[in-house]
Amino acid sequence: MRSAVQARDEGVASFRTRLFTAIMVIVATLTAFGFYLAQRKVTADAERNLQENFQAELSSLHRLEELRHAALAERCDVLAAKPRIHAAMEDNAIDLLYPSAKDELRDLMEGDEPPPEQAAPSLHAKFYRFLDSTGAVIKPPNPYDVGELDAKTERQLALSRLPDTQQTGYIRKNTETGGGTIDEVIAVPIFSSYTGDVISALVIGFKPLELEEKNAEVGMRSGVWVTGQLHLPSLPKSAQASLNEKIASAVANSDREQDNFRVNVDGAPQLLFYKRLNPGSLFPAAYEICVYPLAYSMAQLHRLRWQIGGAGALLLLGGFVASHVVALRFSAPVKKLALDSEQNRAQRKRAEAALASTTQELERSARYSADASHQLKSPVTVLRIGLEILLTREGFKPEVYEELSALLHQTHRLTGVIDDLLLLSRMDAGHLQIASTPVNLSQLVDEWLDDLSALPDSPDVKIEKEFTTGLFVAGEERYTSLIVQNLLENARKYNRPGGLIRVSASRACGSRNVVLKIGNTGRTIPPAENIFERFHHRSTPSAASGHGIGLNLARELARLHGGDLCLVRSENDWTEFEVRFPASDGVNAVA
Amino acid sequence: MRLRGLLWFNAVFSIMPVALWASAVVEGRVELPKSHTAPVQAKRYEIVTKGGVLSTQPPLAVVYLDGAFPKLASLPTKQVAQKDLTFVPALLPVPVGTKVEFPNLDETYHNIFSYSPAKRFDLGRYRPEERPIPTQVFDKLGLVTLRCDIHEHMRGLILVLNTPYFVMTDTDGHFRLSGLPAGRYTLKAWIDSRTTREKPVELKNDQTLHIDFP
Repeated sequence: MRSAVQARDEGVASFRTRLFTAIMVIVATLTAFGFYLAQRKVTADAERNLQENFQAELSSLHRLEELRHAALAERCDVLAAKPRIHAAMEDNAIDLLYPSAKDELRDLMEGDEPPPEQAAPSLHAKFYRFLDSTGAVIKPPNPYDVGELDAKTERQLALSRLPDTQQTGYIRKNTETGGGTIDEVIAVPIFSSYTGDVISALVIGFKPLELEEKNAEVGMRSGVWVTGQLHLPSLPKSAQASLNEKIASAVANSDREQDNFRVNVDGAPQLLFYKRLNPGSLFPAAYEICVYPLAYSMAQLHRLRWQIGGAGALLLLGGFVASHVVALRFSAPVKKLALDSEQNRAQRKRAEAALASTTQELERSARYSADASHQLKSPVTVLRIGLEILLTREGFKPEVYEELSALLHQTHRLTGVIDDLLLLSRMDAGHLQIASTPVNLSQLVDEWLDDLSALPDSPDVKIEKEFTTGLFVAGEERYTSLIVQNLLENARKYNRPGGLIRVSASRACGSRNVVLKIGNTGRTIPPAENIFERFHHRSTPSAASGHGIGLNLARELARLHGGDLCLVRSENDWTEFEVRFPASDGVNAVA
Repeated sequence: MRLRGLLWFNAVFSIMPVALWASAVVEGRVELPKSHTAPVQAKRYEIVTKGGVLSTQPPLAVVYLDGAFPKLASLPTKQVAQKDLTFVPALLPVPVGTKVEFPNLDETYHNIFSYSPAKRFDLGRYRPEERPIPTQVFDKLGLVTLRCDIHEHMRGLILVLNTPYFVMTDTDGHFRLSGLPAGRYTLKAWIDSRTTREKPVELKNDQTLHIDFP
């Protein structure tokens, strides 16, 4: 019992463990999934934000460029229509080109540098040059008027041919301090107003917008990458050099004009965006470069990780508690169930054991009574035969014969009791088989009534019969006869002198049973008495005596035949028994 | 009326001295480029640019006798007027050293200038009543493109020649040069700024030579 309790407790514990494990797995999976989603979202958000920032940056640059382009296009159309410019170009007076253009372009070069937001309309240029028909730079006679450039810088203005459309380029200009600046140049074709041909191009140099300060709060740093060199003054030289290579390889390996990738600058992760500034230009490809530190988004990600991790831990703790509670609540009925089933098992075992012992006892008692009957019968037979021999002897006194006769009668009674007991024990052992045949009940009752009246000590009783002849019942004649004999003998035995015995038998219409009723006058049976009990004796002393198994035997036999025996009434000097036998239809129909 | 009379006088005067001792004549026809516009009644020429080539419209040619002729002591002053926002005449052949006046006959300002290698000048802005009339002396051979800084479409041509013997064809290309000195020369036909045809000629006195430029 103790090990069972232990096993049960272990079962509950393992159930709890499994439940907790399942909850843990679910929580862990959810947390991991949450991690994954959050990380993706944060990364995507950061990238999108930075991308938008970058695009906004570029768009402001592009807006400025567009304004410049439009203003310049207009300006150059006007310029190209100028007779002096035409005259200089067409009349082979190149030396007069710059002087002629000087007046026209005077406002480009004059005045202080305007604030950036007015840069485009005012077109504040740093220098300009004309290109000849081969795309080479036409040397200005007086560089001071058109913005001085060193020879190296000036060479960068040349194009392989005259452009048909405006071209944007970025050139690197070295300054005395050692650093460089990047200037935006726009080449505008000049069309002959008479021939429509491109006769020259005007290349105007501007200082590109300084983007450094605008997004300082995001830590963005922007620059320009042109002709294999990065110009990003806010970065240290070494970082520029390493970025330079990365951008060069990215640009070389990608067909795309814009992209982004992660870089490390001074050990800090950064997101680098690049976009071609002058797609399709005749000038060397230039890229806008923006570097955004990812520290902010990394910190955000870090914080989010902690939050999600904390939430996961809390969830896990909750899961732990919940699993305990649930396990306890679940295990209580399980426990009860286990207990109940154990009790049930024990009860069943006990019942089985009891049944087995009862069966054994029953068998033993049945065997015993059978054995006893057999053992008893032989000496009784010997005794009877001895008494009968003595009765046939001559020479005894008459009292002796009377005594012998009484003794012989007792041996007969004893034989009857033993037979009854034998029969009962066979019935109890379940060995009695009924061979069901049609039995003529009317004839059987008549025969027994005749015998009854022939008995020597029969009292003076009147017999009434109420039955038709040829009432057949299904059963074994021997036992049917025994039932009828028992009842008739009782009716005679317990009658009073001058009494009445009434025997009636009938089969109700449509009924499957034949009912035999035997009533007699005489003392009645008190209702409390169980007269059908084995070895029952009437509580009230009487002259008549029985061995107490007759009624029991009769009832058992009746029941064995599929009928029954019961006391119908016992009052007012009238006791009546009723036996039901199953009718034997076949024979009755014939009869 | 007075102006026209003056022009007439100039023309006669310029030919006169030569005619005294020279009497050869060249006549013929220059094959002119096809004109794209229908001939107009009013004889008015314009300078057009096509592919960078300047020519008159309708096409006209200048036929002249190339050679080293003694420089004339006094050359008549010529005129290129600005009238109705065009140069009149659109094409003016002059012997080298000729002084040309640029009277403004319009109601507006003009600013005649030239960047041509043969003559660079800039007359500045001037009104019709500007006096004296702005002038330039063309003392270098070549084609001078006249432009107006204010009216960008205006074009004029002055062909500075080293000879006093030249004539403009009619619109059919016919020309006649008379009073030429005898000798071997090259007869040239200027058709546009890029095209000048030439033929060697041997002129004899009192003889009319027929030369066609295909």
